[in-house]
Amino acid sequence: MPETTSGIEYTKVAEIKGPLMVIDGITKASFDELVEIETSEGERRLGKVLEVGFGKAVVQVFEGTTGLTITGTKAKFLGKTMEMPVSQELLGRVFDGLGRPNDGLPDPIADKFLDVNGEPMNPERREYPTSFIQTGVSVIDGMLTLVRGQKLPIFSGSGMPHNILAAQIARQASVVGTKEDFAVVFAAIGVQYSEAQYFKRSLEESGALRRSVLFLNLADDPAIERIITPRVALTVAEYLAYDLGMHVLAILTDMTNYAEALREISAAREEVPGRKGYPGYLYTDLANNYERAGRIKGKNGSVTQVPILSMPADDITHPIPDLTGYITEGQIVLGRDLFRKGVYPPVNVLMSLSRLMKDGVGEGKTRADHAEVGNQMYDLYSRAQEVRALAEIVGRAGLTGTDLKYLDAGDMFENHFLKQAPDENRNLEETLSRAWEVLSTLPEGELTKIKEKHIKAYYKGSK
Amino acid sequence: MSSNSALERTINKVLSQKETELVSQIDSAFQESLKNLESSRSRLEGERTKIIESARKQAENLKRQIVGSSRLAARNKELVTIETDVNRAFEEARERLANSGKDSSYQALMSKIVEESIPQVASDEVVIECNKNDADLVKKIVADLSKKNARLRASVSDRPITAIGGIRVKSADGTMSFDNTLDSRIERLKPLIRKNIARMLRGEEGEE
Repeated sequence: MPETTSGIEYTKVAEIKGPLMVIDGITKASFDELVEIETSEGERRLGKVLEVGFGKAVVQVFEGTTGLTITGTKAKFLGKTMEMPVSQELLGRVFDGLGRPNDGLPDPIADKFLDVNGEPMNPERREYPTSFIQTGVSVIDGMLTLVRGQKLPIFSGSGMPHNILAAQIARQASVVGTKEDFAVVFAAIGVQYSEAQYFKRSLEESGALRRSVLFLNLADDPAIERIITPRVALTVAEYLAYDLGMHVLAILTDMTNYAEALREISAAREEVPGRKGYPGYLYTDLANNYERAGRIKGKNGSVTQVPILSMPADDITHPIPDLTGYITEGQIVLGRDLFRKGVYPPVNVLMSLSRLMKDGVGEGKTRADHAEVGNQMYDLYSRAQEVRALAEIVGRAGLTGTDLKYLDAGDMFENHFLKQAPDENRNLEETLSRAWEVLSTLPEGELTKIKEKHIKAYYKGSK
Repeated sequence: MSSNSALERTINKVLSQKETELVSQIDSAFQESLKNLESSRSRLEGERTKIIESARKQAENLKRQIVGSSRLAARNKELVTIETDVNRAFEEARERLANSGKDSSYQALMSKIVEESIPQVASDEVVIECNKNDADLVKKIVADLSKKNARLRASVSDRPITAIGGIRVKSADGTMSFDNTLDSRIERLKPLIRKNIARMLRGEEGEE
């Protein structure tokens, strides 16, 4: 909420170092306070207080310190933390990484001003996510089911189609049995212009732009702005979900760029570096963002998060995917081998997992055989991969009859079940029927994870 | 004669065999054609359904896209119109404020503004800036305040600022300043006021 008495302006800049500015002679400043910086040329930038004490304040300048000079620079302390004006009018709008309009339209008329850091969700009031979201992507719906309020990241690599997959999820996501559509909050964090445009166009073409809010911090935008982008996006997502009762799908791409910005600030503050130079609080910081997903008892809406991160050198042990994996409820890993084979979506199912799937599928939610089919498909593909490795050594001739069936089933899994077009929306019935077609290529005796009654009902192969 | 009749019989036999063969071939070809026709028909039917289905999907997508973007464009136009009106309301309010008579309530307001602004810069030696019209009033308020607070060294700058009203206080060394002009107060409250004006423009109740 704006105040009438705020805005003490200081002109004594002691030091400018990387993205930080040290201001001297401070009498009144608070941690995280928003600061408006005016350059000697009259250009205005935003920053926030990182440290305060001994008459000094360390300010992190979001738009970078290029062009700032010690003399002539003014810093106005605004007496509030960074806030995002929120209202239903945000839907269909495009903002920059700091939440300022980027679509040529005026500032949104706010219903409320919300602190971008959000309010911690009372753990007791959290509701366990159990409602199935149909994404129309077979491998996700069938084996890595997403549920409302879940945080399920996509671990990808450079050049892989993670954004195409995320856009497909955003366009197709629906809750079966209801007419409810998802509102989409998309935060582009240091992505290329073409990627952001792809996402925007994709939402526009599907008519989903009017239920979407886009925050774009592009690759050529200031890196430090990236610290704020997911926060403003999640603030809007929370408002749409908990105030307006909408189901929100928040897509944050690319969280690796966010962590890089965090590392840049940490280095400038001369903090003790942790793994690969990232700050020791990277886990806490990522959790602050990822935990802003879920459902609240007594509220209609939900925030489902799909953060995307590109693993440097496809290394899943890198600190960013490693720490993300601890916080989120599973992960969808994209595989380079499948990508090279031309399989879309190249989801490496053996590395992927949805921890909340078990609570969102089954009788009364999806279909009675869903969970078992998912497990059997995992088993099938895992055995197929083993047989493939064996065939590399002994050749096809050295394989047993059952092994050969697994080999063919593995190919069918990739080409008939996993592979689908980016604009192909498969409902759950079709997904499960494709899964049964793949499973039916195996002898019935191999289906050890599925109950007899389901085999009787759906198995089409030979005994 | 007999050899001729035998030849004739043989020829007839061959002809009859060939005829039967040909008839059966024609029959099987006919049957095959019927089968082909039937399968082509069902394939064609499938293709036709697929094409119709894909066209229907395309039409639905196109409809969704057109309806979606039209609604969005209409909403955006409304936003721009409202913003124009809100800005006009602000301009008018500023104009009225600037031209309003400086009555006793304005003097009380200025007195309050000066009192709340000086402590903000946390210094006893301050320079106060105001517009040309308010200079005398501010000088009087400052003189009254100095009587109450002996440590206060406040001077009113000779260089007037461009503002509707209110003051700007600076510490004597110029390192700290506090802008409490009416312009900056309006700017700070603008988001709230905008919301109220927009509500009124939309025919809703404005908030206090």
